[in-house]
Amino acid sequence: MKNNLNQFKQMFLAQLKLTMREKQAWFWGIFFPVILMVIFMVIFSGSSNEDFSAEIALVNEGSNQTSEILLAQINQNALLDIKSGEAVNREQAEKWVKDQEVDAAIILPRSVEKTSLLLIVNKENEQGVTTQAISGMLDKLVQQVNLSVTNTVPMYQLEFKTISSGSSELNYTDFLLTGMIALAIAQGGLFGMVDLVEMRRKGLIKRLRMTPAKMSIFGISDMTMRLLFSIIQIVLLSLIGVFVFGANLYINFLSLGIVFLFGALSFNALGYLISSFSKTSEAYMGVANIGSFIMMFLSGVFIPIETMPSWIQPLSNVLPLTYFVDGLRDTMIYEASIFSRSLWFGILIVLLWGSVSYLLGSWLYKRKSIVANR
Amino acid sequence: MAILEVKHLQKSFGTIHAVRDISFSVKAGEIFTIIGPNGAGKTTTLEMIEGLVQPDQGEIQFGNLKWDKDADAIKMKIGVQPQSGAMFDLLTPKENLDLFATFYNKAKSTEEILALVNLTEHQNNHVKKLSGGQRQRLAIGLAMISDPEIIFLDEPTTGLDPQARRNIWDIILQLKNLGKTTILTTHYMEEAEKLSDRVCIIDQGKIVTLDTPPALIEKLTKEKEVHLSFLNGEESAYHTNQFIEKLSTVERTEQIGKTLKLWTTNTEDTLYNLFRFTKEKQYCVEQVSIDEMSLEDVFISFTGKEWRD
Ligand SMILES: Nc1ncnc2c1ncn2[C@@H]1O[C@H](COP(=O)(O)OP(=O)(O)OP(=O)(O)O)[C@@H](O)[C@H]1O
Ligand SMILES: [Mg+2]
Repeated sequence: MKNNLNQFKQMFLAQLKLTMREKQAWFWGIFFPVILMVIFMVIFSGSSNEDFSAEIALVNEGSNQTSEILLAQINQNALLDIKSGEAVNREQAEKWVKDQEVDAAIILPRSVEKTSLLLIVNKENEQGVTTQAISGMLDKLVQQVNLSVTNTVPMYQLEFKTISSGSSELNYTDFLLTGMIALAIAQGGLFGMVDLVEMRRKGLIKRLRMTPAKMSIFGISDMTMRLLFSIIQIVLLSLIGVFVFGANLYINFLSLGIVFLFGALSFNALGYLISSFSKTSEAYMGVANIGSFIMMFLSGVFIPIETMPSWIQPLSNVLPLTYFVDGLRDTMIYEASIFSRSLWFGILIVLLWGSVSYLLGSWLYKRKSIVANR
Repeated sequence: MAILEVKHLQKSFGTIHAVRDISFSVKAGEIFTIIGPNGAGKTTTLEMIEGLVQPDQGEIQFGNLKWDKDADAIKMKIGVQPQSGAMFDLLTPKENLDLFATFYNKAKSTEEILALVNLTEHQNNHVKKLSGGQRQRLAIGLAMISDPEIIFLDEPTTGLDPQARRNIWDIILQLKNLGKTTILTTHYMEEAEKLSDRVCIIDQGKIVTLDTPPALIEKLTKEKEVHLSFLNGEESAYHTNQFIEKLSTVERTEQIGKTLKLWTTNTEDTLYNLFRFTKEKQYCVEQVSIDEMSLEDVFISFTGKEWRD
């Protein structure tokens, strides 16, 4: 037992060194997904904002000194167009936001003591240019008001709140970020097992079999290394997404951990299956590329499945990446709890793919193996 | 006492009979060499003994250990340098050795092995950057890390320059001094002669002969190779060949155009008879040369083949 632990430790250390020294792994596993994400984010979230003007709903339920100052400021602002020309009640404003009849609703403070100004926008437009601009303008406005009442201690601040109109559509940054994370992990598994083909080609597997080394320990340490690498992918992509592109993540770490673990294992199992019938790394890469290509475009990584032609959708609905992407979105954006049914349904499908691949791969390996013992 | 005994090994890959019938036994402390041309079945034989390939027929016994019952015990006892010399290219020699050491119950110190295979200087370079000879030495080092009783070396010197080959010979002789049993394969008769206690020549999956090097060489270098070339051309060569083939002192002959080659165990008698014949027939012999048989020729005469490299 102690020896097994030591073997695991040493094999893991060796694998860590091998991965650190493998430049290809870093390029395709880390650098490439980052570049891809940056390109997509820049292309799709950079719509122009010339001729800007926004229609807003204004709620002024308890007219008071501060609300009057703010109201005056907003009226002065030529870019903000108040719907129906006057303040309305809060229900009406929220309804307009929901129906997207206005770009945002501004709720002015009810009393002098209330120090916050509320901005309500539709979830779908949360990261939109218009929203950003309104929020920017209000920010400035609030600052001006703050300055004009500097002698009073409390400062006005802008509070931000979103209302989702219930559609599953979310803002593109979050959508793409989680899609890219899922894709990077899936590709890590799908492509990563090419190492196995290389090891076999070089006779390393055979070489290890000549020693009393336990191949199961080798497999476990190898998987641990791969999971670690995927965790680095998640963290790095998330950091870039949040800090560079302003993605909003609400993560349920427990559910994310489960989705991640089963997903990463399953995609590695898919790679394992490919390796079992590929004689050369070229053959392996060919198959892996086809698989990755199909999944990349049909699993809702870059564009929502609902927007794709309806005849493609049944295909999307069987691909494992579809469910893995959904799982990551549910757990990273919607904080889905581990009691969520749809979450487990997705995990089940991904696991089904994983276990069938693993069993089939093992069977193929065994059938070809010329070794009787072990 | 036999430390390893194999009996009637056979292995086919589809229609290829890689090993047809191989039996031998190896004594403790011995250097046992298997020599044979490409495709003779050397690697297949070793891989069956190493437990990598399941034989179709035959028995393999390490003392009283057998693969089907004692796989782990055997693996602890043997060290293997495969023909492909597989190792982790992105690790250093030291890291490779350290990793392999953890697979075994007992292991020599990495420093000791590095010194033995003369790689101390390169211990921290990636294996990828080692030369062929350095790689090969590391492969032998990996075979020795567990301080095994029996070491298998599959063509340890193929593709190396003469100096590097001698380095490896030194290592193998050191192993013998340490009391290890070594089983190695090679293409070079010279190497077999220098290193081995016994040599087993195999071809087409069968043992051609098995003996100590002095006995083998004595058996064969008694033969001399004589070249003749005839001025009057092919016909006289043909008739001379017909005549000398029947001489008891002549082992074999070969006639190509107007030249004739013959191998004899008694040069004097053979030449005397030969020249009496040509004089009688008035054939004019243009050139005569006599070669000592080279070791390569010994090998070729046993396997009856050209090199197929
Ligand atoms: N896994 C295999 N599948 C099919 N044929 C094989 C396999 N391994 C060996 N052979 C065939 O068996 C024969 C013997 O091969 P082997 O490798 O044992 O020869 P060898 O004596 O080691 O040759 P070399 O000197 O070139 O290393 C060859 O004809 C080879 O093509
Ligand atoms: Mg060979």
